[in-house]
Amino acid sequence: MEATLFYILAAVTLTGTLCAVTAGQAVRAIVYLVTSFFALALIFYLLGAPLVAAFEVIIYAGAIMVLFLFVIMMLELGSPEKLPKPRLSDWWPALLLMGAVIGSVVVLVAARQPAGVPGFTEISVRQFSLALFTRYGVAVEVISMQLLFALVGALYLGRRR
Amino acid sequence: MQTYLSLMLLFPLVGGLASALLGRKLPRVLVEGIACAAVWGSFACAALAAAAYAAPETVTVAGWFASFDLDIPISLYLDPLSLSLAVMIGFVCGLIHIYAVFYMRSEEDYPRFFALLNIFVFAMLTLVLAESLPLLYLGWEGVGFCSYLLIGFWYTDKNNADAGRKAFITTRIGDTALMVALAWLFQLFGTLSVSKLNGMGFLMPGSIITALGILFLVAAMGKSAQVPLMVWLPDAMAGPTPVSAMIHAATMVTAGVYLLARMFPLIGGSATVLSAIAVTGGVTAFYGATCALAQRDLKRVLAFSTISQIGYMMLGVGAGAVTAATFHLLVHAFFKALLFLGAGCVITAMHHEQDIFKMGGLRRSLPLTFWNFLAGAACLAGLPLTGGFFSKDSILMAVWHKGGALYQFLYLLALATALITAYYAFRMVYLVFGGPGGDGHLQSGSELKVMQLVLIPLALLGLFGGLFNLPAYIGEGYLNRLFAGVAGGAPGGGSHLEEIVMQAIAGALALAGLLAAYLRYGKGRAQRLEEAGSQPSLLGSFLAHGWYFDNLYNLILIRPYRALAAVLWQRLDEGVIDDSLDRLAHALGRTGSWLGRWSTGRVSIYLISFAAGGGVILGYLAWLAL
Amino acid sequence: MSVPLYHVLVLAAVMFAMGLACVVAWRANVIMMLIGIEIMLNAVMLVFVGGSAHWGIADGQLFALMLMALTSAEVSLALAMVVYLHRRKHSVNTDHFDSMRG
Repeated sequence: MEATLFYILAAVTLTGTLCAVTAGQAVRAIVYLVTSFFALALIFYLLGAPLVAAFEVIIYAGAIMVLFLFVIMMLELGSPEKLPKPRLSDWWPALLLMGAVIGSVVVLVAARQPAGVPGFTEISVRQFSLALFTRYGVAVEVISMQLLFALVGALYLGRRR
Repeated sequence: MQTYLSLMLLFPLVGGLASALLGRKLPRVLVEGIACAAVWGSFACAALAAAAYAAPETVTVAGWFASFDLDIPISLYLDPLSLSLAVMIGFVCGLIHIYAVFYMRSEEDYPRFFALLNIFVFAMLTLVLAESLPLLYLGWEGVGFCSYLLIGFWYTDKNNADAGRKAFITTRIGDTALMVALAWLFQLFGTLSVSKLNGMGFLMPGSIITALGILFLVAAMGKSAQVPLMVWLPDAMAGPTPVSAMIHAATMVTAGVYLLARMFPLIGGSATVLSAIAVTGGVTAFYGATCALAQRDLKRVLAFSTISQIGYMMLGVGAGAVTAATFHLLVHAFFKALLFLGAGCVITAMHHEQDIFKMGGLRRSLPLTFWNFLAGAACLAGLPLTGGFFSKDSILMAVWHKGGALYQFLYLLALATALITAYYAFRMVYLVFGGPGGDGHLQSGSELKVMQLVLIPLALLGLFGGLFNLPAYIGEGYLNRLFAGVAGGAPGGGSHLEEIVMQAIAGALALAGLLAAYLRYGKGRAQRLEEAGSQPSLLGSFLAHGWYFDNLYNLILIRPYRALAAVLWQRLDEGVIDDSLDRLAHALGRTGSWLGRWSTGRVSIYLISFAAGGGVILGYLAWLAL
Repeated sequence: MSVPLYHVLVLAAVMFAMGLACVVAWRANVIMMLIGIEIMLNAVMLVFVGGSAHWGIADGQLFALMLMALTSAEVSLALAMVVYLHRRKHSVNTDHFDSMRG
């Protein structure tokens, strides 16, 4: 049953992403993308990563996409004329690349398919946080530094002169 | 003997090097003294060697080159042929050196001149004395090289440089033939020693001997200015007169005859070769004489005369009479050098005027020159009892006695040439010395006096040269005895009566030529001078331009060569090679600029390049995994 | 849950390709390019999580979390730059900013 759920969610993700890519306006693209991210978060949960799923919703769909919307609206780019739409000459390299990437990955992965199909193991929150704060403690500090830098940078760039 | 021969070669070589290296630092008199002393020292050694001469001998001075089976020692061979030539060269060149000291008094670049003269004597003696053919070739090339430099001595005038180059290139054709012959001889016989080769002629079939002989003949044609390679000699008169006297009258141009005489045992066995040599000689003699008839320049008359007389010598060799040819060679050296030096005196006195139609009356102003010149002209014409008479006649005898239709025809041709020779010789004398006195001022000076004095020994030798080889009915010739051992040296057959008849015919022809010249240029002198001002007739210009051989060669050789050179230069060198490099460079530049258009500064371009690159790598990895 | 890892990877690959296609097709528009980059980053996170589920260790998820944090920092800076560029030229067409050409 979880397998079928996985495939349905996968279909939703891909459809959402497709619509986001081919959307005519930026706001619509972002909303489609949010849908796609919700489905992705559920996939994460199915893959036994509840914390990551939660963070995906909160941080990604909740903060980052909202930031995108905010900037788009601030720059008043909503009207279609200000967004140069891609023509056919822009689409065919994209399609070609898509075909190349997907084909390559399918071939590469198919060649090394292991014999058995082991199931997924769920990682509990306790295990997760234990690993995070013991083995990757320094990484946490570094990430907080990095967020500080990003904050300072964004402030500086956004300053009114 | 070894000392004499080594010193004979060393003196002029050292003298030449001293002049070349130190000539500008030493005082002029010292340089000139060294130059003359070197050649006279060489003559002294030759005379001593002659006194001590008993039999032909080979002297090896040193080794030169030895590798595998090619052995070329510096070995010298003394036999009557080389001995007589060496003595003659020493004497004549010595006199000419003294003459040159005074002739070139006003020349600033004298060290170069005397160095070249001495090195020339060295090369000529090497050529004459060489026993191994490469050594002979060394001398051969040496004389050619010195001749080139001396013809173009006053190189700042383009005509002189061109004349030197023409001489060098034309003789080069002969030199190539000689080199081919040398290589072939080594391949056939395994040795390059003259004495050995001369004994091995019977080993090879006739066709090979003929081919070798033809090669030697071509070499001689080039060096001795025979038809068809004679075009360089008239132009070589651009050099100073002592050079013309020494190189282009007495010594270098006789080197071809010497070569054929030296290799006579090898190539004489082939009748074809001998006929070819005789025909070349006969035709050239006739050609030279007819051209000399129509020349206006004093030195060019003498140049064509030289061509003609060497033709006689070749004719002698072709008739198998090496003694007669050598006799004529020696006497010709004397009187031709005399004529040239006399011409030099005349030219100096006339302020370097060389057109004989502008001269006249010099017998009163330059009496010494006149009498000596007259003696030389008499020898040239072959007037009875002069040296030239006896030598020319011995050649005619030998040709007549060879027998066969070809040789009879050549005999008649040679007789006709003798008539023409006498005619032009006295034409020259009458025009230059005859007639009323010239109105020009003559240059005089102490140099001219000494120059004229030098002429006297040569005149004596020329006039009394007949004593060297008196005909058989008077006494046995000295040269005949001397050359008895040399191949081809045996005197021709024929009874004494035949000889007297032939000599009478030849003498009569010479006198007839003298008479004709007297009538036309002695009595009719004023008319001739008038005629000289107008356009020459068709025949006259044909003869004056040397039967238009120069134009012929220009048409069939030089113009195609220049056209080819122009094509190769413009189309090939500049067009293909240069342009292809230029175009390659341009193409590379354009490719670079075209590639440079990739950095547009637009992020979209960079993105797609990045993505495409990533796609390619992924695809490649996938393809590997397939 | 018996979905083979292979399928998860293919899904991630398709998402990644679509993100790449979005970047390439919309390469004239900065905002859409950033969206494409987000899609690609999500695909990568999916791979990490799938790997961690397959082998049963937490490191994959941890890295996905770090990726998320870094992404947010990057997005904020990128959008601040977009605002800045828009102030300079009143355009978000990437081809207008080509002063680095040559």
